[in-house]
Amino acid sequence: GVFAHLEMLEVQSHEAAVKQVEMEQQEEKLARLKATVQELRLQRDKLQAKVDLQQKGQLCKEGVMLPLAQPSAQAVLEWKIKSVKAMLQVFYLTGISGKLTKRGVCFCISTAYEGTYLDSYFLDLLTEPEVQIYRHSVPVFIPLEQIAKKYLQTDIRRFLSVLSDHLNAYVRRRYQADQLQEHFSDQIEGKLQRNSLCNLLVFNYNVSSKSKTFLFNMRLLYGNLCCSLPTEVIISCTPDAPASVAEMAAAHSDLFRRVALHKAFRSFSSTEERVD
Amino acid sequence: MDETVAEYIRRTVLKIPRDEIKTVLQKWDFLSEKQLQTIKFNQIKENISRDVAQLCEENSADIKQAAILDIIYNHIYPNKRVWSVYQMNKTGEETETFDLTVFKKKFKRQLQSALKNVTINFREYEDNAIWIRIAWGTPYTKPNQYKTSYVVYHSQTPYVFISVSVLKSNLPLLRQALVVASNYHDICEMELRSHSLNSLKDIVFKTYSQNFQTYCPRPLQERNVAPESEDLRIIQENRNEKERIQRLNREVFGDGPQPKLEFAQYKLETMFKSNPKMDVLDKKEPFRCLVKFSSPHLLESLKSLAPAGMADAPLSPLLTCIPHKARNYFKIKEKKAFSPGSVVTP
Repeated sequence: GVFAHLEMLEVQSHEAAVKQVEMEQQEEKLARLKATVQELRLQRDKLQAKVDLQQKGQLCKEGVMLPLAQPSAQAVLEWKIKSVKAMLQVFYLTGISGKLTKRGVCFCISTAYEGTYLDSYFLDLLTEPEVQIYRHSVPVFIPLEQIAKKYLQTDIRRFLSVLSDHLNAYVRRRYQADQLQEHFSDQIEGKLQRNSLCNLLVFNYNVSSKSKTFLFNMRLLYGNLCCSLPTEVIISCTPDAPASVAEMAAAHSDLFRRVALHKAFRSFSSTEERVD
Repeated sequence: MDETVAEYIRRTVLKIPRDEIKTVLQKWDFLSEKQLQTIKFNQIKENISRDVAQLCEENSADIKQAAILDIIYNHIYPNKRVWSVYQMNKTGEETETFDLTVFKKKFKRQLQSALKNVTINFREYEDNAIWIRIAWGTPYTKPNQYKTSYVVYHSQTPYVFISVSVLKSNLPLLRQALVVASNYHDICEMELRSHSLNSLKDIVFKTYSQNFQTYCPRPLQERNVAPESEDLRIIQENRNEKERIQRLNREVFGDGPQPKLEFAQYKLETMFKSNPKMDVLDKKEPFRCLVKFSSPHLLESLKSLAPAGMADAPLSPLLTCIPHKARNYFKIKEKKAFSPGSVVTP
């Protein structure tokens, strides 16, 4: 009946509790033994170092003892802190950090532009039997497979560096286009045509010269996916525009090739203020 | 103006929940604010739709405007349709820059050269999604605006989301047009289907929450922390087990919301393993069986199975691999004697 069942459960739980206690005792014992092993290992290393020192002393012809002082605990700690700080500096400068996982490494690539951190992307790599990507959060339109095919097996640093270049450039292009839409929408006529990689932007914008406004059509092509400046700038204006406006178009074309999109637009509004 | 257009607009408005009609019409931007103010939005939908149709007639709405309204409706309520995911492949590494105008031109040209009687409309959204609405006709009849297919494509990705719903015979034409317009070589259907378009996007674009560990997590056993407002008369007997399950669940499912799928289907073609004495089948044939899991939100329910005590943790990888493998249709064949690989076949 029910009571018999409950009794059986009680007995079982009692046995389980006893087993639990036994296991915990075992674990404690194990931990103590491990600590002892660690201590003994340290002692052994110290003695080994002493032996090596003596041997070196014997081999040394001039009989001068090499001043091989055992680094103090303080010095070791300072060195550890220094190397951690250096590692953090590398992470900060490159935007690439990583952590060992059970089956490989997990990398995080951070992107930034003009001092602002933007998106971060993750790559979970397996290292056995060969280096391969297990999973990732890289956007689908970044040519990850192509980059992996070229570099992942042979030169993982290059792989990360090339991927980081692609991601940073994409994020920066996107940032520029977003800034343009957000802050200079009054100068843009109609829709801003863009694509997922933000490597082709087509739009019309207003330019004023001598209190007349003209419409320019702009086509920005970013041929290099690792670059956040366009490789090709085509600006066209209406055929009946005066020569001075055509000159302006040429000047703009040069400007957009050298300067980030939103910065170029910012410079327009400031120069216009000066002219008027 | 064509009466059928007004009727089509009227019927589209009828599909919209009454409280949302004004916002949808504003998004449509075809009727002026003044005209919208003349409509009484608290009357019954039947009357609202008639008023809207009347105003559209005054503005001489054409089929293009009507199509745009239909796209806007489907963009706001995409979960009314079933979406399938297709994957395009291309050989070689030519990275052609995606030009939207060229894409639209090529798509239209390819589709219309195969079938003249189609209505094709495009609309682009902020997240680089291109929505294409196609109304199908036949070589001898005009396009039927009520028989539509939808395509959602994000530029420079190999994935296309298609909701065909009717006239599946036109699918090959559609696939061909997509491949040509986007500069790929071929297209094939993935084993992934759902009502939730955004969840499908999350799965293939890998924007769902995956649990990436790039920092050392703090140990979960913080025994010195006082339990939050717990009744001290209740003792947690299985605390270790509960924590183990939580940890495994987090590793597999991550912390964020799961993509929304309605079902997972497993087609089994495996041998029936029974006690040799109880020989159920005379012939040693694979036992064909179809297992289908249905749920309003399949992945969330799988995530809550182990914590609810209904299944052992860790769950079978056949269930947990769904977002990672980007599929919810599986075919399971017999494990071959010497192949160490997975038994799941496409």
